[in-house]
Parts: sequence; structure tokens; C-alpha cells
Amino acid sequence: MESNTSATTAALGTPTDVHQSIGLLTRQLHDALNGLGMTDKVKCLAGEIPDAKSRLSYIARVTGEAAEKVLNRVDQAKAQQDHIAAETRRIGALIVKDPVAAVAKGHVMNFITDVEESTKQVDQHLTEIMMAQDFHDLTGQVIAKVVTLAANIEEQLVQLLIQTAPHEPVAKPVAPATMASLPHQPLLAGPAINPKGNPDVVSGQSEVDDLLASLGF
Amino acid sequence: MANELRFLVVDDFSTMRRIVRNLLKESGYADADEAEDGVVALHKLRNSTFHFVVSDINMPNMNGFQLLAEIKKDEKLKHLPVLMVTAEARKEDIVMAAQQGAAGYIVKPFTKATLEDKVNLILTKLGLK
Repeated sequence: MESNTSATTAALGTPTDVHQSIGLLTRQLHDALNGLGMTDKVKCLAGEIPDAKSRLSYIARVTGEAAEKVLNRVDQAKAQQDHIAAETRRIGALIVKDPVAAVAKGHVMNFITDVEESTKQVDQHLTEIMMAQDFHDLTGQVIAKVVTLAANIEEQLVQLLIQTAPHEPVAKPVAPATMASLPHQPLLAGPAINPKGNPDVVSGQSEVDDLLASLGF
Repeated sequence: MANELRFLVVDDFSTMRRIVRNLLKESGYADADEAEDGVVALHKLRNSTFHFVVSDINMPNMNGFQLLAEIKKDEKLKHLPVLMVTAEARKEDIVMAAQQGAAGYIVKPFTKATLEDKVNLILTKLGLK
């Protein structure tokens, strides 16, 4: 390792030379981007990267919450099912032992009421499990935006390569992905990633209702 | 009358179409069809009978705002209530939807109760429930 470092340093010169070389390269890149009029685009794309990071965090959060919700509801529904199964066995044994007493003492009626209540609750759990699948829509929109950003960065880099390529004949570059070639380009804002502290977006249905009510709708 | 109403659910995500259809069914509105974007929705609306549209906004080909505008300028369709169910949470989008004639606006993620309440409220206002 030490010999590699020494060899590299020897090839580039002293540390001061290396530092100057990096400085020169940075200056050349800056001038090249300026000359090509690309600094704004690069700045703009660089500015979108933190947004992409928060979008990816949003996906992780929403999918995590959905999984948690589904697992919790499944646990509750299974407990309900176990209860009904146990009650069914118990009431079955009572009926076999003394059918008249099972009805007369209200065991059968209590069981029916219990089953009705439990099935109602299981149905609610199933509805919530179904609702949890809405993460597919929400994260899908966010993923589409991150893909668009990645495609834009790729396009700009390819453009930079083309404009800075040596003049000798080189293989024709592959055409960059264009906006039109992407499968789905949502033009709207999509889900609110960080609604807190953003006065331009609503954070929930109650704010939508308040806004519409304030407008007389 | 209410359970004889026919709904059109418009969303580019099949998962969401299925969720909305199931919720409508649980609320007593079992008759529903689907469309994956505004173009398909408009075609179905012009070639069949529907009483209620539940539409997403962010869709390819023709988005929800464009669909709403097409519905409102069509003499035969303009009476149709259009409930926007969307992830678009910007206030300007909500205001624009209301100004363009949307009957209601639900922001995703939403609950079964929210959808049921909004649909029932709109139907009651229109005297269809």
C-alpha cells in the first residue's frame, strides 16, 4: 500500500503539485461548464438531489408503515379467528352434552352474538389491510419523480460528454433518454413529502375540507 | 336509487382502482367500472351511462383536470358529479379543482369513512340519495 502511494506521488510529483493539479482540473471543469452554459443546469440538478433523498426516505417510511399496519391487522384478525374457533369448539361440546340446556341457558344465543361481532371486526381488519395497499399508488408517483431526476442527470452528463469529447472520430453516443421516452412523466407535484411547515400544501383531509369551505364550496 | 347508481373510477394505478371499487361496494355502490386515464374515461363516459365519477388527477395521456374540463364542457356529461381522489396536496390544485366544477376533493391517503362521507354528501346534495 505504502509503495503504491509512493509510486502515485512520484508520478504526480510532490503533494503541492498534486494539490495544484486538482485545483487546475477543478478550474478547467468550472470553466468548461461555464463555457458550455451548463452551470445552471448542473446547479439545478444538484439542488434536486436532496429532494430525491427525501423522496426515497418517504418511500421507505410509507412502505414501512403499510407493512406494519398490515401485520398488526393480521395479528388482530388471527386473534379474533382463534377466539371464534375456540368458542365454536366449546359451544359444540355444550350442544352435544345437553342441546336443550345449551339453548335455554343462552349459550347458543351468546355464541351467535359473539360470532356476529367478531366477523364485523374481522371485516374491518380486512378493509384496513386493503386500504394499506394504497402505498403502491403513493410511492409509485414518487418513484416516477426520482426516475425522472436520474434520467435528467444522465441526459446532462451525456450532453457534457458529447460537448467535451475529443475531435477524433469516436463511436456515435447512444441517444440520451428523453422526457418523451420515459414511461410516465407526472407533471403535477404528487404526494406531499414534507407537508409540515409548507404553507402551499395540505397535510390531511381536514385541511382540504377547511380550504374548500373557506371558498364557499 | 342510490345503489342503482353507476360509478366510474379513474386512476392509473390498478391497486387504487381496486381499493376505491371495493370501498364503494362496501358502501352499497356495487355497480362500478374502471378507466386507467382520462382518455379511456372520456370514451367510456360518452359511450355508456354513468352517474358518478371518482377520478385521480396525476395520470398519463389525460390528467384529472383535463378530464374534468372535458366533462364540464360536454353538454351530455356536465351534470356528472366528479369527486377528485388524489395525492395532489397543493392548495392551488384543490382550489383549481373546485373552480373547474369538481364536486369534492379527497387527498390520499384517505379512509373508508372519508370516501363514504363525501360520496353520500354529494349524492344527497344532488337529490340522488
